[in-house]
Amino acid sequence: MTIDMSQFYQVFFEESAEHLATMEGLLLELDIDNPDSEQLNAIFRAAHSIKGSAGTFGFTDLAETTHILENLLDRIRKQELGLRADMVDAFLESGDLLGDMLEAHQGRGQVDPRAVASICARLRQLSANDSVPIEPSLHSAEEGAEVVGLNEPVGKRTFDIQFVPTDVAAKGKGLGNLLDELRSFGSLEVLSQPASDMNNVGYWQLRLVTDAGQDAFSDQIDFIAENGAWRVVEETVTNDADGDFGFFDDSPGAPATDPGYGFFSPVDSSTDLASAVEVPAAKEESYGFFAPLPQVDEGGAAASEASCEDGDGYGFFTPLPSPVPAQHVVEEGDGFGFFESLAPKLAPVQPIEPVTPARVSIPGVVDKAAALPARAAKSQSGVTAAAESSIRVSVEKVDQLINLVGELVITQAMLLQTAAQIQEGAPERLINGLAQLERNTRDLQESVMSIRMMQISFVFSRFPRVVRDLSSKLGKQVELKTSGETTELDKGLIERIADPLTHLIRNSLDHGIELPETRIAAGKSPVGTITLKAYHQGGSIVIEVGDDGAGLPRNKILAKARERGLLVSDQMTDSEVFNLIFEAGFSTADQVTDVSGRGVGMDVVRRNIQSMGGRVEIESMLGVGTRMTVRLPLTLAILDGMSIAVGDQTYILPLSYVVESFQPKVGDIKTLSNQARVIQVRGEFLPVVVLHELFNIRAQSSDFSQGIMVVIDADGIHAALFVDALIGQHQVVIKSLEANYRRVPGISGATIMGDGHVALILDVSAIAGMAKTNLQKAG
Amino acid sequence: MEAMTHGGGAVSDDDLVASEFLTFTLGSEEYAIDILKVQEIRGYEQPTLIANAPPFIKGVINLRGIIVPIVDLRIKFNLGKVEYTPFTVVVILNVAGRVIGAVVDSVSDVFSLTRSQIRQAPDFSGTFDTKYIIGLATVDGRMMIVTDIERLMTSAEMALIDSASE
Repeated sequence: MTIDMSQFYQVFFEESAEHLATMEGLLLELDIDNPDSEQLNAIFRAAHSIKGSAGTFGFTDLAETTHILENLLDRIRKQELGLRADMVDAFLESGDLLGDMLEAHQGRGQVDPRAVASICARLRQLSANDSVPIEPSLHSAEEGAEVVGLNEPVGKRTFDIQFVPTDVAAKGKGLGNLLDELRSFGSLEVLSQPASDMNNVGYWQLRLVTDAGQDAFSDQIDFIAENGAWRVVEETVTNDADGDFGFFDDSPGAPATDPGYGFFSPVDSSTDLASAVEVPAAKEESYGFFAPLPQVDEGGAAASEASCEDGDGYGFFTPLPSPVPAQHVVEEGDGFGFFESLAPKLAPVQPIEPVTPARVSIPGVVDKAAALPARAAKSQSGVTAAAESSIRVSVEKVDQLINLVGELVITQAMLLQTAAQIQEGAPERLINGLAQLERNTRDLQESVMSIRMMQISFVFSRFPRVVRDLSSKLGKQVELKTSGETTELDKGLIERIADPLTHLIRNSLDHGIELPETRIAAGKSPVGTITLKAYHQGGSIVIEVGDDGAGLPRNKILAKARERGLLVSDQMTDSEVFNLIFEAGFSTADQVTDVSGRGVGMDVVRRNIQSMGGRVEIESMLGVGTRMTVRLPLTLAILDGMSIAVGDQTYILPLSYVVESFQPKVGDIKTLSNQARVIQVRGEFLPVVVLHELFNIRAQSSDFSQGIMVVIDADGIHAALFVDALIGQHQVVIKSLEANYRRVPGISGATIMGDGHVALILDVSAIAGMAKTNLQKAG
Repeated sequence: MEAMTHGGGAVSDDDLVASEFLTFTLGSEEYAIDILKVQEIRGYEQPTLIANAPPFIKGVINLRGIIVPIVDLRIKFNLGKVEYTPFTVVVILNVAGRVIGAVVDSVSDVFSLTRSQIRQAPDFSGTFDTKYIIGLATVDGRMMIVTDIERLMTSAEMALIDSASE
């Protein structure tokens, strides 16, 4: 086959990375004493998918390592081996290594071959432990699966492989590749092959002696063979002694222990159903059944039954047992391979697409799958649910779509305004049409925005690993509790929140949670808890990182701040004191560890969160714990705003900051030292920000009783904003002012109003900050 | 100096390569700018004010969904009568990856000029710093000031870009 594979590499890399992430998540969830077989199967599937595609794309190092990993997993899921904690560790490590290999293949970083060899050896060791003991010398030097050859008598199995390759595969390189591949699994002999003038097209029979499972190579055969036109039968297991191999090596003829071979050979066209089902490995039979025997219509029922008994749900995707004669299936050959690789791989992407639960419909195949008895479908539920249809689209395209819809919304608003201005009233049909348009555009906007929304579990899923690794490194016992993983937020935010959150969690682990002895001494459970919570509140999403650790030492922070020459006083509120830890270079850690303590980080965390339009708050109680709350806007693209008028200008005030508004009376406003003005609102004195003075524009009136006071709350700072009038409430599309201009103090962005004019969006935090400094100067 | 490299050397290759220039007037002076930097020309519309911006920055307009700042070059360079009529022209420029609108008195012509036609400008002192001037060119008896508009617009004194203004 001469297809240029490189064009698919990127997809492979992405998919494999997703599989690795899935695998890691599942491994961490796994209950070691009582593993859930569904989870084990899912882990196995992930490993298997990586291996399958790695093999297809020629990344042999990946394929080999995954293969060993998969072998061990296979034994565990078949309950031949019990799951142990050290296995999970080994799995996680090999997962990391596979990730490194993937990176290396993409030209980033390098993989230490010794690390690969050692993890392979460790996996093999684990795999072998409970079975026949092996001399360790055999394993130490091994690089990968190639070495697993004749000299290894453990778990040897003999497979009888029969298949009819597709014309393309036979004439191209595919067949040669397959043979090479099979040789890499063990010793391979060709028992029968088509006459040399046939260009390899025709019936092949091979014998493979290997310690790998059938799953390891059946994929490759399926890839080469005509659909369904292949069969693998395991012969007697030969794990006795080396001597036995001589028998197979030297006897190229048909071995005595081949149960159904003659029966399925292409010459034999008469079929006895009963005997087919009787053959030991009923599962395999059902596949090969139809292949070289085109005329077996009545076999359909039996075949699907046989496949149902194979309840592990995995075989389903690979060689789908089809109750149709082989020739028919061949026509749909493309569909097969497609479905097989697509279905399990798209699983991690699925959360993005909660709207359309339609499955990928590949003509014929899915229909047949649906027609299979319910039992088979049931065993598949885990996979099919994940196989919901989704497509990969570049974020750029989505953003372009969002922009266009934004334009549409503006145009629609413009039309509506124009219609409203028609003197003698617009025709009713026009009004109705416009109302309809408004509804449609709003729906359209909502669904387009939802494309960018992702579940926060995408970020949360990495933390169990972080906590696990870090707690064992620090000798602490920590349990991570997460909730609200399904909370959705913008993809752009998801990507940017991961690092700050990781830092907060590391911080909690390192500084918050105490060592078990200290905890016991303090009367707490030795196991600390870190809680990770996400939920919606108003127009923002709140992420809480809490711990039940030591809490922040107020006095220590104050002392440290004085030491660093910061302006502090004992009268500062707790939250002001705690906010000091966000200062650059601030650390109260007694010693610097490699985890944290250098004082870099928290300032970066705050800066990152602020750059996303969010804020972070700390609550803490000494000895009880600390809670850091991150508030983020739901999306970076749209904002609920209140439009206000100042002079002839319109500004947008983000609604989430607005507390209340009222019309002040003349005497309400007092001046401090003749400079700063304050207003008393329900007993609280708030600094007054006169917007037209701040922005240097002519207002309609500078008389306070003629305008409106809007009370804003920005990061806990309250202020009263004096404006001419409130106009209305809008959902506005945020446009960057900096793209073509520069940052303007007090302005966070711009938007386009219904009449096509630009309105600037106020930066409430900055304005409140200005008000506060004004007040401090005056006071 | 910029003018030296462009106007000084008489390289034969450059003589043959002509570039198109758009000319506009500010007061009684005629300026020429590289036409590849011009995105479009449109009429003046009332922009949205930007708080505390220098007077020559008139504000921002909505150009098909993009927020574009408007600079009045007449105010900036103290040229011409600053009034806004339906005939006031805004040249939308595409410089340094940004879109910027420049208000000028009028747009006159598009000329083809070769390098050799652009002479080095004498060192004159004035509002218009010579470092933004590539040279002078004469076509049909009219003198034009060939301007490096990209350099001008991204300069710190225009205060249009963050990094330059700080």
